[in-house]
Amino acid sequence: MSYHYNEAFENPDYHFSETLEIDRRRSPQKNLFSHQTPYDYDTSPYGSYGEHSEREQNYPLAIPMASLRRGSESSRGFPRVDVLSRSPYGHSTDNLSFEPEPDLAYSPPSTFHLLDRPYAHRVASVSYGTIIQNNGRPPEEIVMASSSLFETDPAHKEEDKLVGNLASMTTSERIKAIQKMPETMKKKREIRDKVLKEITKKSSHHSTQLPCCTHCLQGAALSFRRFGNTLLEYFSLLRFWHKTLKIIGAEFGTSVLSYFIFLKWLLAFNVFSFLINFSFITIPQFIAAEPNNLTFTGLELFTGSGYFQQTVLYYGFYTNATISKITNGASYNMQLAYIFTVGLYFVVCFLILLVSMAKSFCRNFINPWMYSGKASKLLCTWDFNITNEKAVKLKQKNLSTQIKEDLSEVNREVLNFSVRERVVHIVIHLASWAASLGTAVAACAGVYFLSINNLKLFVKGHENDQETQAAMLVLPIIASLLNTLIPFFYSWLGQLERFQTPGHQIYVTIARNIVLKISIVGILCYYWLNIVAVSESQCWETLVGQDIYRLVLVDFIFCLLGSFFGEFLRRIIGTALKLGLPEFDIARNVLDLIYAQTLTWIGIPFSPLLPGIQMIAFSIVFCVKKVSLMMNCQPPRKVWRTAQMTTSFMFLLFFPSFLGVLSVIGVTVWRLKPSEECGPFRGLPSMYAAVSEWIKLLESYTASKWVVWIYYNLVTSELFFFILSVIVLIISYLYWQIIEGRKTMTKLLHKQIINEGKDKMFLLEKLRALQRANQTPPAPRGQDQQRRPSSYNPSRQPAQQVPDYPGRTCDRNQNAALSEHPYSARISTGTGFPPDSKTPHLSRRPGVSEAVALALRAREAAQWEDEESDSDF
Amino acid sequence: TIFTPEQLDAYQDCTFFTRKEILRLFYRYRDLAPQLVPLDYTDKPDVTLPYELIGSMPELKDNPFRQRIAEVFSEDGDGNMTLDDFLDMFSVLSEMAPRDLKAYYAFKIYDFNNDDYICKSDLEKTVNKLTRNELTPEEVSLVCDKVIYEADVDNDGKLSLEDFQHMIVRAPDFLSTFHIRI
Repeated sequence: MSYHYNEAFENPDYHFSETLEIDRRRSPQKNLFSHQTPYDYDTSPYGSYGEHSEREQNYPLAIPMASLRRGSESSRGFPRVDVLSRSPYGHSTDNLSFEPEPDLAYSPPSTFHLLDRPYAHRVASVSYGTIIQNNGRPPEEIVMASSSLFETDPAHKEEDKLVGNLASMTTSERIKAIQKMPETMKKKREIRDKVLKEITKKSSHHSTQLPCCTHCLQGAALSFRRFGNTLLEYFSLLRFWHKTLKIIGAEFGTSVLSYFIFLKWLLAFNVFSFLINFSFITIPQFIAAEPNNLTFTGLELFTGSGYFQQTVLYYGFYTNATISKITNGASYNMQLAYIFTVGLYFVVCFLILLVSMAKSFCRNFINPWMYSGKASKLLCTWDFNITNEKAVKLKQKNLSTQIKEDLSEVNREVLNFSVRERVVHIVIHLASWAASLGTAVAACAGVYFLSINNLKLFVKGHENDQETQAAMLVLPIIASLLNTLIPFFYSWLGQLERFQTPGHQIYVTIARNIVLKISIVGILCYYWLNIVAVSESQCWETLVGQDIYRLVLVDFIFCLLGSFFGEFLRRIIGTALKLGLPEFDIARNVLDLIYAQTLTWIGIPFSPLLPGIQMIAFSIVFCVKKVSLMMNCQPPRKVWRTAQMTTSFMFLLFFPSFLGVLSVIGVTVWRLKPSEECGPFRGLPSMYAAVSEWIKLLESYTASKWVVWIYYNLVTSELFFFILSVIVLIISYLYWQIIEGRKTMTKLLHKQIINEGKDKMFLLEKLRALQRANQTPPAPRGQDQQRRPSSYNPSRQPAQQVPDYPGRTCDRNQNAALSEHPYSARISTGTGFPPDSKTPHLSRRPGVSEAVALALRAREAAQWEDEESDSDF
Repeated sequence: TIFTPEQLDAYQDCTFFTRKEILRLFYRYRDLAPQLVPLDYTDKPDVTLPYELIGSMPELKDNPFRQRIAEVFSEDGDGNMTLDDFLDMFSVLSEMAPRDLKAYYAFKIYDFNNDDYICKSDLEKTVNKLTRNELTPEEVSLVCDKVIYEADVDNDGKLSLEDFQHMIVRAPDFLSTFHIRI
């Protein structure tokens, strides 16, 4: 790829003048650096010295410009400062063709923290770097021969400040700050070395008397950090399927990948749950286990009853005894272990879900209502994950069709529906909502009657004949069938309704599906808690556990069948009928996962090892879906708002699913009476009674008084919860108000930016008018500056022919670019312009291009004076 | 040993990678040209791989922006990369890199003429790369005008870094799409 300025520079005239010019300009400081500054003892041995000091001194060239981070730290977003520093002309070091304004380096120092501006710095340094690189490296002789002209050394100062700032941070903060710098590795390492040196210097300064001790401490800290890093590495070994995810991302893009990441995330939940359940509940139970005298036939694998009833799989098998191997030794209270393990798991789950949801919201829903428009679609759309050639081509094709569609939409007028059409639309929407809700209700009713029927089978007694066992499978099969088939009906309804945007359709379909799934689970919960729990069965918890086991298993089988029929057969039929390959339906698949996870959560108290089963199921689903995806599917054609969708799914997992499960568990633990003859809580009025009894027991020990105190004053006290909720409400209200305030602030700032832009346009307009006026007679003001350029009058011509600035900004005409930047820079930076500093360079410049530069500079100076005198009154 | 512990520490402090990832990246780098890249980096050899090799990596070879990526991250601006540049590149493109940093480099990648603004010609190039030249010039120009109209907050007719960052904030997918898995 060749850039326009490359060609320009290859022109010998250009090359000669520009290169020398730049080298001369750069070299004095270089010299300064290499002789007078502490960089001399900088041991960093990489790279050529010239290059590195170049970067160094370029570093502070940027005008104070707050980086994006300002957005998140808007507490200091005072409009004045903000807008000033935000003005995009501040860092106009992008003057590619000619010498950038030297005075830019001496702009008034900003009050912003240095670290907030690395982005600005890099802009500067890179553009300088490019100039120099395109001219070839500066010859060493020139660097050495040039004399030091610059007495001040702001670059050094600024960098020292930066190093000082970094040195005063804590280690992790410092590393983060360095990592975030948009610099080359060389530069980053250099800064790091300096900071480390600074720190060592400081610490040795502070404690000269104990150098040995500090050395030891530092060594210890270093080795501790290395140890931590090693641990982290082993932890990252646990990242399964890295390669698989990479392949999926390469071929199908981020959207499909998000399904698999979600699946992996759920899998991690289940692994965690399985591990703690297994180690705190199941292993102790193994020690106290009674022999299982039931026979294993094989069908139990599907029904979960029979043999499994007498295993650690279900609640009923666990003992209520206190397990102790050694008499008078430490004992293990099964009741407490059971309730605390399950409780702990849910608390941890709650926190993880809450945190990840909040994170995801704050990352992805910053401005959801503003997320529209082609701009972001175009520039942020490319999925760098995709690395498969075919996928890349497909993606490009999809993008071009999409752009074409968008353009045609733009050309089309906004659809104006007549009243009648609108009424028809509303009626259709209402009808389809009624139809979908009706289906959900019908499905629930069907499930309810089936389950009542099912209960009779259980209560009749546990005859282990094949027929009864097979009959038990009817309910889960029907439930899974409803769950699989009704979504197809819903998506058909959605197509019938003809929504205005595809996003709308997706959201409505998801809402309907979630209503269906949650109401099916809800009706099952009602059945378990209100009917099974009060039935005269021996051990209702085990019955519920078995029900859930069957539901989970059949759902898993349906998931496999779904990927077989839905994807494999669809592909075969599709290729036969030339329909094309199917797309992977992310929404439907994710909702299936949420359903399965909800069932697992509900099942945890009744069947502690259910997460283990779900864990296996999810791993198989992962592999099967991956293979099916690779074999049968094609990348999605439409842009799928992955991040937003992932957030919504996480929210769905939290809100109806997890909170619903919590309420079910709450009812089970606090309200329901456990079975009399089985399980760890037999004989107690409720599961929770185990805790209150334990507290009563603790009261007799003085050592554990604090636990008792906490229990009575915090856990069971209404007052405490009242105060807590009041505090939470107050805090949320405060935050809400702060958010409102910031919204207003953002709006104002946005307006201000637009106004600044308009101001600039206005000033440019004025400027141009002034130029035209200046052309014939020299202006009375600023004569001393004016005198010089007047001799170069002809060279001004090209610049003045630029009629419209914004339209021409990308013009390859270098004069245009040149004429623009100095002005814009001048206007925005305004003050602090030392006109003398550039005179020596100006006088040395030969050539036409330089004449233009001179003319422009002078004119700009005049204009600037004009501005200043304007602002004086 | 490939690196001294100090070198590894420095790399860890300057990138978002763990030691293992750094080593893996080193091997990826070395695999591009085993005869050029020594296995011993303790004495900091001055090795630069040409763009042709970098661009042939499976992660990059089908990416329409591969040349720009290599140019932006290479120190010489021509796409020839040292190991440091290579690590830098994948560090920015890694999952851990913050939005600002990613936005900064994405901006540079789309800024084809290196003038620190994304102007219409840059956008045209981007669109052509995104769509494999399937749009007519009129369509491309229309799209670019729309993009500038939408994203140009300060009305200067081109997108500055701030405009771009402003836009990125509204595109939550950017974080996950501007990401190359190693």
